[in-house]
Amino acid sequence: MNPDMKTFRRLAVAALVTTYFLIFIGALVRVSGAGLGCPDWPHCFGRWIPPTDVSQLPPEMDPSDFNFVLAWIEYVNRLVGVVVGLLIAAVGVMALVKFRRHKSILASSIAAALLVAYQGWQGSQVVASELEPLIVSVHMAVAFIIVSLLLYIVYQVHRITYNSEYAPVYPRRIRLWTGVLLLAVMIQVVLGTQVRSAVEIAAGKFPLYSAATWLDEAGMYGYIHSVLGVIIAAGGLYVASRLLGKSINPAPVVRPSAWALMALIFIQTVFGIALYTAGLPGVVQVMHVGLAGMIIGLAMILFVATKPMEIRQ
Amino acid sequence: MNYKGSVKSIFLFVIIALIIMATLVCWVISEAEKSRYQIPVLGQLPEFKFTDQDGRPFGLSDMKGKITVMDFIFTRCQGPCPVMASHFSRLYQLYHGSDIVQLLSISVDPDYDTDSVLKAYADRHGVTDNRWIFLRAPLDSIVAFSEQGLMIAADRESLPGGHSTRFTLIDSEGRIRGYYDGLDDAAITRLKNNINRLVGEIK
Repeated sequence: MNPDMKTFRRLAVAALVTTYFLIFIGALVRVSGAGLGCPDWPHCFGRWIPPTDVSQLPPEMDPSDFNFVLAWIEYVNRLVGVVVGLLIAAVGVMALVKFRRHKSILASSIAAALLVAYQGWQGSQVVASELEPLIVSVHMAVAFIIVSLLLYIVYQVHRITYNSEYAPVYPRRIRLWTGVLLLAVMIQVVLGTQVRSAVEIAAGKFPLYSAATWLDEAGMYGYIHSVLGVIIAAGGLYVASRLLGKSINPAPVVRPSAWALMALIFIQTVFGIALYTAGLPGVVQVMHVGLAGMIIGLAMILFVATKPMEIRQ
Repeated sequence: MNYKGSVKSIFLFVIIALIIMATLVCWVISEAEKSRYQIPVLGQLPEFKFTDQDGRPFGLSDMKGKITVMDFIFTRCQGPCPVMASHFSRLYQLYHGSDIVQLLSISVDPDYDTDSVLKAYADRHGVTDNRWIFLRAPLDSIVAFSEQGLMIAADRESLPGGHSTRFTLIDSEGRIRGYYDGLDDAAITRLKNNINRLVGEIK
């Protein structure tokens, strides 16, 4: 591997890992209710570093809005966001300078850089809208697209490095099913954000009720989300086991991804059930979102990796 | 590098990272929850003896075990009172599922606001139970209660027109936990959050 490619891979992997980390933090912000921990943007209570004590607040700010813990949760989200933004910008610049020949790397790197810039601005809208559920959900969806693009970039670099000399043979129609799986997972994520919004609205309307009642209020979305969850779990296990059992000479990434997909689907289903039965424990909500991002990534990898390749000489 | 080896180390990295992440998330969420419940104690209400719109005595002991929001009104008031009363109405409807949250409106015009006047006022605002109570007492004791109990200035000369528009939040032990501008929607939102948290403290 040439040194440029090596540097680029390091950069892309760093961006990928940090972005997944940021997705967990973002979920944590929403779940812990820290979204308005800093009521202004990009400042936090008029400062670049959030105040540690109520006495540091500027006089025009209401001291009862200040909560040290919530301010810092929100602020860490912004800080890590800046790091992610810089890393992805570096990926974009490097792709533009060094890898113009690799169209797929170039296009996805530029797209990721543009999206992360948009995401920064969109984050300001989340605060400005005082956490309008739809705007918060879009913020998460964009994060999932960015992380998928980064994973795709890392995969492309990997593919160039470990190019198989033999043509792989995959089970019949597996690409179709992988595509359907990917699509279903995306729909599932959108439904999940709807459940979350409905729960938030119900919690605002019936503050003293239990989480179970809020879920009931989420009504149809919650029901469809859990039914589709079961279907995806079954379908995902089917796709993964077919890939593991029936592939001949698969691309090196396929087997580990299929195993990981099975494991994550299993954990995700357990989490989904735990959310319903245990009254929406916060930590499970956060992990549920993070794992969803990872499952999307794996489904995407499998979809791309099982693409029929022309045999190279 | 050997491919299988790197896959293994990636898996190991992800598993460890997820476990660390989950632990961290648990800790942060519990810290956030704790920080939310920390609503400073601003003072303790003294004993007082007022009467409600049915003429029954009402005192500090009637506030024990309940989360109370208090304000000052008078029924002839054309100024800020209608806005304050509409906020109280909405709180009254919002918390209809629980008798833990109670609202107290203290009249600063006791000569005009007799029991029957207060009762009619309550009816006008759709009050059907004792989650919203209207209190009266001689003006001197109202002023004393406001200044020494609630720590809200009450200029006797300017009453009833010049009464405070602040809502005071009292916890289940009769302690003052916050003041909220009764004319400011944002303050009302904060008030609601703090009511929910104080109810959480009781449970």
